[in-house]
Amino acid sequence: MPANNPTPSRTQIFDKICELLVPYNPKNHEITMLSGIVTDLEVDSTAVFDLIMGLEDFYDISIPMELVSDIKTVGELVNATRQLTQE
Amino acid sequence: MDIFDKFSALKSRTDLVTKLGTDPFGVKFDDIENATRGRIGNRSIVLAGTNNYLGLTFDEDCMAASINAIKSHGTGTTGSRIANGSYTEHIDLEDALAKHSGMASAIVFSTGYQTNLAAIATLAGPKDVLFIDADSHACIIDGCRLSSAPTIRFRHNSPADLDKRLTRKGPIEDGTALVVIEGLYSMFGDRAPIAEFVDVCQKHGAYLYIDEAHSFGVFGPTGCGLAEEEGVLDKVDFISGTFSKSLASIGGFCLSKHKGFEITRKAMRAYMFTASPTPSNVSAARAALDKIAEKSELRANLQERAAQLHAGLTELGFDLCADPSPIIAVRRPNEIVAATEWNWLLEEGVYVNLAVPPGTPQSSSLLRISLSAAHTKDEIDIIIKAFKDMQEQSESLMAKVQAVMANG
Repeated sequence: MPANNPTPSRTQIFDKICELLVPYNPKNHEITMLSGIVTDLEVDSTAVFDLIMGLEDFYDISIPMELVSDIKTVGELVNATRQLTQE
Repeated sequence: MDIFDKFSALKSRTDLVTKLGTDPFGVKFDDIENATRGRIGNRSIVLAGTNNYLGLTFDEDCMAASINAIKSHGTGTTGSRIANGSYTEHIDLEDALAKHSGMASAIVFSTGYQTNLAAIATLAGPKDVLFIDADSHACIIDGCRLSSAPTIRFRHNSPADLDKRLTRKGPIEDGTALVVIEGLYSMFGDRAPIAEFVDVCQKHGAYLYIDEAHSFGVFGPTGCGLAEEEGVLDKVDFISGTFSKSLASIGGFCLSKHKGFEITRKAMRAYMFTASPTPSNVSAARAALDKIAEKSELRANLQERAAQLHAGLTELGFDLCADPSPIIAVRRPNEIVAATEWNWLLEEGVYVNLAVPPGTPQSSSLLRISLSAAHTKDEIDIIIKAFKDMQEQSESLMAKVQAVMANG
């Protein structure tokens, strides 16, 4: 994460998630804040955790597993990430 | 609304795979003749997917110990050790496991799954933090879910990534870090770099818990597993394992170098509120432990067979997931191809495991083989030949795949 921008905007986080989702979205489903990660984008549960680890590394945050199980949509992942980057 | 509606996607997937022949997750054997042979109808089947690593399920001493225990103490314990007390068999096996491994404490459980569920869920309290490998087995993940501790995953088999995540987390106020890894991973058969994980844990003051379900009895000079093989067994805080693989029975165990582990008997719900393992199960495992201690040739045989099969499949050009070990996983292009080939192998008399997402790392579809010290060289040759014939039949097998896909 760029050092001069410690609290990224929701748009920045969304763009980063879209970038990280590329290898898990071979059918090129359109990604919106409302997209269900598993239901709409067809990312399997194992790959979700790989995506999360990529996000943790980029923003230097820890997203605990129990939080991940409550996240269903891209927007919810954006919100959780934004909250953790503000802490 | 039907209560089973929620399983409709799973049912469609199962129905599709079953169209290819036998349900790979519901195989019915008409007979199990010995550690490496079964029978379906009139077909003799080479068992290459049973995790019977040392082949002790038909060992005369293990069977005699089990039968004698039934005659002495009956068929079941009918309750938990907390409520109904411990049998001499439980105490004897715990003492033997502790002595064999040089650990201060050993607790036996009714299954391997319950072992990790009970120990992980209880050891990690609300102020602790769990760090688990990304490819952890379901029982580790379920143990974490059941615990009140936050759980952070690190990249598979990467001590450097664990180091980074422990550093990122920083000091844990009023709590500790518990790191959970496996010795040999059950799907790919790849080993953890245990000594490096020990170093990272020591650097951060974290406790290390290793599930050696697939490596206990199989690796190490005395069969204690991969931590022993790497010379770091005394630096590991907890070792868990199962009786249902090299120990030829059913049940599980957790060992600790800390005497303090004993108190958890009165806190682990999956230990306290379930029936204890039967005298016959425990006695078979006790006899198998003696074999593990006394018969290093079992491990040598197993390694030879693993090397033979790995070399044979490599020569045929198959993409194998890891170096030779008792688990040899063959990567296939997708689930339908793997299921078609799995059926073909079974028809040809070779039983392996079909492993598909989400139960596999990297969303892989695998033909997973587990070997036994009881396999003969000839049986390994039969497995290799079956894979060779399967390769030669690939055109007709792919036509079958296309037909199934076309019909949905």
